[in-house]
Amino acid sequence: MTLVFEPKANRPAPTNTVGFVGWLRQNLFKDIPNTLMTILGLYLTITVVGWVLNWALFNAVWDASSRRECLDLVGRSGACWPGVVEWLPNMIYGLYPKDQVWRINLGFLALIVWLVPLWMGGVKSKVAIGLSVVAFYPFLASYFFLGGDKGPIWTALVALGLWGLVWVWSTALCERRTGLSIGTWLAQRFADADNDIAQKRVRQAAALLLFVVCVGLVSQWSLSEVRTQFWGGLFLTLVISGIGITFSLPAGILLALGRRSDMPAIAMLSTLFIELFRSVPLITILFMFNTMLPLFMPAGTEVNQLLRAIVAVCLFAAAYMAEIVRGGLQAIPKGQYEAASALGLGFWQTTTQVVMPQALKIMIPTIVGNFIGLFKDTTLVSIIGLFDLMNMARAVGEDSDWLGLFIEPFFVVSLIYFVFCFAMSSYSIGLERKLSAGRDR
Amino acid sequence: MALTSQHDDTAERSSLLRRVFFDAKIRAIFLQVLTVAGVVGFLGWLINNTMTNMAARSLSAGFDFLDVSAGFGIGFTLIPYQEGDTYLRVFTVGIMNTLLVAVVAIVLATILGLLVGLARLSTNWIIAGVARAYVELLRNTPLLLQIIAWYFGVFNLLPRPRDSVVLAEVFVLNNRGFYMPSPVAEPGFGIVLTAFVLSIIGAITLYKWEAARRDRTGKSFPAIPAGFAMIVFLPILVYAAAGSPLSWDVPALQGFNFVGGVSVPPSFCALIVALAAYTSCFIAEIVRAGIQSVSKGQIEAAGALNLPANWTLRRVVLPQALRVIIPPLISQYLNVTKNSSLAIAIGFPDLVSVWMNTSLNQSGRAIPIVAMTMAFYCIVSLSVSLVMNRYNRRAQLKER
Repeated sequence: MTLVFEPKANRPAPTNTVGFVGWLRQNLFKDIPNTLMTILGLYLTITVVGWVLNWALFNAVWDASSRRECLDLVGRSGACWPGVVEWLPNMIYGLYPKDQVWRINLGFLALIVWLVPLWMGGVKSKVAIGLSVVAFYPFLASYFFLGGDKGPIWTALVALGLWGLVWVWSTALCERRTGLSIGTWLAQRFADADNDIAQKRVRQAAALLLFVVCVGLVSQWSLSEVRTQFWGGLFLTLVISGIGITFSLPAGILLALGRRSDMPAIAMLSTLFIELFRSVPLITILFMFNTMLPLFMPAGTEVNQLLRAIVAVCLFAAAYMAEIVRGGLQAIPKGQYEAASALGLGFWQTTTQVVMPQALKIMIPTIVGNFIGLFKDTTLVSIIGLFDLMNMARAVGEDSDWLGLFIEPFFVVSLIYFVFCFAMSSYSIGLERKLSAGRDR
Repeated sequence: MALTSQHDDTAERSSLLRRVFFDAKIRAIFLQVLTVAGVVGFLGWLINNTMTNMAARSLSAGFDFLDVSAGFGIGFTLIPYQEGDTYLRVFTVGIMNTLLVAVVAIVLATILGLLVGLARLSTNWIIAGVARAYVELLRNTPLLLQIIAWYFGVFNLLPRPRDSVVLAEVFVLNNRGFYMPSPVAEPGFGIVLTAFVLSIIGAITLYKWEAARRDRTGKSFPAIPAGFAMIVFLPILVYAAAGSPLSWDVPALQGFNFVGGVSVPPSFCALIVALAAYTSCFIAEIVRAGIQSVSKGQIEAAGALNLPANWTLRRVVLPQALRVIIPPLISQYLNVTKNSSLAIAIGFPDLVSVWMNTSLNQSGRAIPIVAMTMAFYCIVSLSVSLVMNRYNRRAQLKER
């Protein structure tokens, strides 16, 4: 008997998994249930998107003078945009006097101008620039927005704001051209290279000179007062959430450090504050401050409603931020503390140079998530009677010309919120990827 | 020589002012005393101001108003309430309504969130995309806006009772609310309930026995299907044997409105739908993150041991995923409870609305009312975190 090698028949080639058809087969039509799901998903998408497009664009009315006209033209099948268009300035600026609206625009433009160096190549002192926004911009902005009489102290503070802006740009430009910050550059230019005291003098003199010029400029300036009752719309939403965000991060860091502190009294007080503010809804805190802040203050103190809301939002946000920061601090291995203490670093040096930079990096997604939450939560101030973006949208439907026009303004406002929140979360994802580049090789 | 200089050094160090700054122990005590004094001083200042202001406005801070008649009606109550009942009753009504909203919204949000979370993990590109769009759209817009939009944009625009939307002939939806049949127990229904409770106890015992036997002998027994069968079929059998002692009160149109069954107002529907949809996004993300946190090696190892697919899921993936899922899930449940306070924007009478708003304005007792509301929310969240801490301690990986 002879053994003859008889090859088996080849197995059939595997189904195509590359290319467009392969991708379709892998991802959409793998088997029958999968195909059914695909069809269901497609059907859902097409129906919803088609319905929204029809309502918002194809069937919409763009020209009418009242809601009645819209209803007569298309009924409920199409959106009635003229009402929203008419109210759009109010939805953005609130009841701010129309001839003063440029101040809001200029104020936010100043913020953007201030922040631009952060994205410029060749700028080194980005941390200082970032801190300067938090420390100095509020003075400039509050004068832009509020205006009115300014005493000597107020003038000095606003001048400090202007000083910050000039410093940021001069430093940014100087660093791009020479690689040195403006102070160092001036010092090297006008003083001996090895005379430290003279260099310091030059820096101080330059800073003082700039400040004097700023005071001179600011004192020439006068803007009429716009009381906070007239603030509203997107502007008010941005002001409240901006203040909340800037306050909550440092306050949260301090509270978190307090809660983790070895000193029992401080740890207990921080814990008490954090747990109290975290376990009640924001709306109860807003109500509490709205009714009780006038009682808490010495008789005769006038606390306007915006300030009450801002205080409530700030304290609430700080408590939430504290827990996030604490989470980040807990993730830092003990070895880092031990190494810092082996190098002879004290508490504040360990915290600011070793622990915080690492902890903040881990916490970025959560912190930004918290900012988004805060931005959305500012809508709650509408319940205590402030006309923020959402309340303005609601007011459209209560205007006699546009009675009952609710869906359209809400749609627009939702889009605005979505754009802001989605941009923030996408930016945080990008930042996270950039910062973790060293870790995930 | 060296000795004396050291001695001088300690003498200098022991001067109190220096020690406050340079001796860690004394500095800590000094800082704490300073902080406590500051906080106490600040609180004292606030209390002093408050007392002066309240005396000036002849307000009182006592709890004696609780048994005074409240004198306003409440649109929706779970327990009997009528105009003229006491403030304490109003408080109870508010708590019940808040808890009802929270429980219903939590149940719906969990189911929806689980589905969306699994859909986001789907290999089907379109399903995953639809789920992602749902999550991104809903969680990037404010909840309050969603609640108000559902209320003004949907539930308020529903037809009048005469042209109601009727589902399955018994569920009715119109601009007065949502109506559904309510069960009416007839004599003998108690036996069915008893059977139901007994079968639940039986199923739990069965499960425990199975787990103990599996640990002892390694043999398995389908305790979960058996338990479910017991819970479902035993009460049905008893129900049939007792002669169906349950009837349904079906809502019917009478004059201008529906009568009978249970009904909830449109504000309740809007609140529940908005809360459930909004929270489901966060739950979906939690579920997705939890399942993705189980490393692939675990599933491959289970496959190498030749575990069947449902065992891999039940004994390998789920226990590890749940450890990641449950803590944030519970905090979402707490969020739902807190967010239910937004009911005030659309006039649903929850705790904040009837108590912190209406009652406060009527009675003017700001301090006791604010304190009681905050105490309620604090108790809820502290008791939940107590339970959570116990769970975490049990579920934590035992490491060095």
